[in-house]
Amino acid sequence: MTYADDIFDQSFSNIKHLGLREIPFTESPTDLQNETLKRIFTGREKELRQVFNLFQSRERRRILVYGRIGIGKSAFLLEVLSVLRRKRPKMLTTYISLPSELDLATTALIALAQEMSEDEWAQRQLYQMGIPTAKVLKERSSEISANAVVGAKTGEKDLPVTKPQYPTVSLDILLERAQQKYPQGVVIAIDDLDKQNPSRVRQLMHDAQGMLKGRAWFLLTGHPTGMTGDLLTSERGLFDLQLKLEELDLPTTYQMLINYLSSARINNDCTDPENPRCVLPFLPETAERFCRASLGKPRLFNRLGNIVLSKAADLQAERITPDILEQALKDAKPELTQQAALDVQEERVRVLLQQRGSLSDETISMADLEQLGFRSFSEILPFLERLEEADLAYQLNQDDAKAFAPIPLPPANDASSPENI
Amino acid sequence: MAKRGFGKSTTVSTRDEVKFMRALMRCIVESRQDPKQVHQFFQSNLEKLDESLLEALPLVFIKLTTNELPKTRQNIARLFAAFGNLIQQLSFGNRLLNLELGIAAYNLALQVRTREDFPEQWAITQNNLGIAYSDRILGERATNLEQAIAAYNLALQVYTREDFPEQWAGTQNNLGNAYSARILGERATNLEQAIAAYNLALQVYTREDFPEQWAVTQNNLGNAYSARILGERATNLEQAIAAYNLALQVYTREDFPEQWAVTQHNLANAYRDRIQGERISNLEQAITNYEQASQVFTQDVFPQKWAENQGHLAEALTKRALLTSTSADLDTAIALLKAALNVSVSGSPDFIDSQYRLGNALSHRYEHNKDPNDLEQALRAYKTALDLMSPEHYDRKKIWQALPTTQSILGMRLVRDGQWQEGLQLLLNSVTQLSTGDDPLAHANALFQTGRAHEVLSNWDNARIYYRDALRLYEHLSDLQGIAKSRAGLGGVLVSQGHLEKGMTELAVSREIYHQLKQPDQVTEVDSLYQAAQRAIERQTAEVFV
Repeated sequence: MTYADDIFDQSFSNIKHLGLREIPFTESPTDLQNETLKRIFTGREKELRQVFNLFQSRERRRILVYGRIGIGKSAFLLEVLSVLRRKRPKMLTTYISLPSELDLATTALIALAQEMSEDEWAQRQLYQMGIPTAKVLKERSSEISANAVVGAKTGEKDLPVTKPQYPTVSLDILLERAQQKYPQGVVIAIDDLDKQNPSRVRQLMHDAQGMLKGRAWFLLTGHPTGMTGDLLTSERGLFDLQLKLEELDLPTTYQMLINYLSSARINNDCTDPENPRCVLPFLPETAERFCRASLGKPRLFNRLGNIVLSKAADLQAERITPDILEQALKDAKPELTQQAALDVQEERVRVLLQQRGSLSDETISMADLEQLGFRSFSEILPFLERLEEADLAYQLNQDDAKAFAPIPLPPANDASSPENI
Repeated sequence: MAKRGFGKSTTVSTRDEVKFMRALMRCIVESRQDPKQVHQFFQSNLEKLDESLLEALPLVFIKLTTNELPKTRQNIARLFAAFGNLIQQLSFGNRLLNLELGIAAYNLALQVRTREDFPEQWAITQNNLGIAYSDRILGERATNLEQAIAAYNLALQVYTREDFPEQWAGTQNNLGNAYSARILGERATNLEQAIAAYNLALQVYTREDFPEQWAVTQNNLGNAYSARILGERATNLEQAIAAYNLALQVYTREDFPEQWAVTQHNLANAYRDRIQGERISNLEQAITNYEQASQVFTQDVFPQKWAENQGHLAEALTKRALLTSTSADLDTAIALLKAALNVSVSGSPDFIDSQYRLGNALSHRYEHNKDPNDLEQALRAYKTALDLMSPEHYDRKKIWQALPTTQSILGMRLVRDGQWQEGLQLLLNSVTQLSTGDDPLAHANALFQTGRAHEVLSNWDNARIYYRDALRLYEHLSDLQGIAKSRAGLGGVLVSQGHLEKGMTELAVSREIYHQLKQPDQVTEVDSLYQAAQRAIERQTAEVFV
């Protein structure tokens, strides 16, 4: 055994100390195995019902799932698909994250062709685009770790591709072939719609109207930052259902914590919220405090969960006591800031946000803007959204203004944290 | 021992050039400097006025002057100076090269005509060198003008008013021209220096004794007053008009058609910008003067001056169109500018000015006809002007600001016409460009237009953000009109989103400001929105009771 081997064992033993096989939290639901997702997916009953109601009809439908970044859109999408796979064996379900620089028809074509590994024509389409012809889902590597890199989703690494000349026609042909084999229909799920710039997304949607009204079911997701929020109004006729995902309430978050923990706990898979053993290694009070800190936002929940469990493991603790949780949450802010790798301007906006407590298009002053070197809120909006993406800020639920506040975490003790620079 | 047979010989063969210069000097002597004959000589030897002559000139001078008697050396210097004079006034051949040859010839002549030995000739050659540097094309214009000023000042060390009053006056006039055009230093101070120099010149150049020189200096003085920065602009323009009118007493169409046309053109410029008197009659006067000038500056005979005059006339017509709110003048202006642009050399100051004027005329015509083609063309014209002009050009700023402003108008138009993708992109471009500029009002306007575009597209959230951005900036600038319209926009959006009370608060403020501004139409418009919101609230309350 080497020295490093010892450290590995120690590390594993620290996690075991907490009664867990592994740290169950992950920022990227696409990394999860179906079985795991099934166990940890929590809540969204109303939304699932709305979606599945549509699936009881023969009519093909278009569904847009939208909500703030990190709200759990991808997980929701994957959950819907995994249910369909179980309940509708003769329905083909496909999933893809919208690659940059690609139109929707080409994207849909890739997603569909990748699922049709036995169809030679489909594979040839992929081949011509320079895409490996095995299924993408099988290629995914697990990225579950305490320091998982944000946004490292599959789909991007296969690019760039040579776009087919007539993607809409190719897609239509492929759909026809797919339908022969899958009489219950074809579902194409395209995630991360607005990874591309907002005006391009508008154009993409505009161009894809024909395709979207064609032979397949479409499930799309996007977060309404920047201009894309207004996509909902401008393209309102395009979707049969526009589903907004909101923050989870506290009981649901609590239940979600239980589900996550039970999926990794050794010899204890209780899921009853009334039973304190179900939140171990958390104590009921620290579990609740933790859930509150995560603001009902699944990605923040996962990020913080990672930080908290890693901290507890480092301290070789058996339980997450209030003290340990506080320490971990204090670590969280510098850790999130460090992960975000903010540039100078983003950092200046972050500091101003911290000083002011909140910033909105309604209340920000000219002096504040000038301090940042700007004259309009619309110029600093991208920076605020970047902070939101990095879980350093969140958008307040205010309908008549765009307002941001820092994620309420206890200030770090460490004098060298970025706050004090 | 040095290796032989490799590389190029360092000595330039100057046999042909020596021969040419000898022939030229013979011609100058024999013709007694009659320009006509010398011009003929140049005309038939045009191909010899080339770069190799420029390169060989110093060697030729050495060959011709080495080991010669002082008298011969003086003669050679005199002939070189005469060559300089003749070639820099040449109206054909390569102007750039002609001026370089002139400068080289003067500098060589100055080697013999030193200040100590031949002060008077030294002074006149310095003066001529100054003229050549003023016109020089090669090199930095700023540096060339500094050289010109330096040369004139040297000349004035000998040409004192007491000893050489006429030459003194001539050099003062030239110095005035150089200061008028000067790029380095404060422009305001340079123009004061120019005016001072012209006034000195006029002390000697009286109408009685030197009518022609008096007229030219009056014209130049008029130009300096037109451009003057210090003092009241209105008074300066009156002074300019007075000076031009004096010049025209001598410069009659019959005797001096070209100078008459130049002064008519200058007088027109002054009337176009005149502040005193009726604006419309000043513009009429300007248009008449430009038209007079164009009788001499025809496209065939003076293509460049024709183009310049047309461009200025177009500007006057555009200004008149704004006063009379008719588009006929704009149609004429646009046609004139397009014709002028066909003649102007691409990249010349005239060409750039005409593009800018074309942009203005087209965007004004758009206000009449609402034809987006005009806006698109305007945009292209502004862009062309900007691409061609150097970043430090002092007109750049105004064009640079006109561009994003037009972009935002065009953007708004496209959005309304349903080309929202292109329209919004133009608007956002203009907002981005203006956000870094030093015209916050134009920035505020572009933000407002972007808000409107979003509103047209029912992008309520973004409309609200941009209206609030515009409002904040208008408030910062204390621009009441802007505050009123952005509050009206914001109020409308808030009402559309169902935030009725908040929206009504904005609408009420807007209505009040429009009231203050005495704009009853706007008051009515905002009020009807307010009333609609009021009714919506009443309906809601009624529903609650039901």
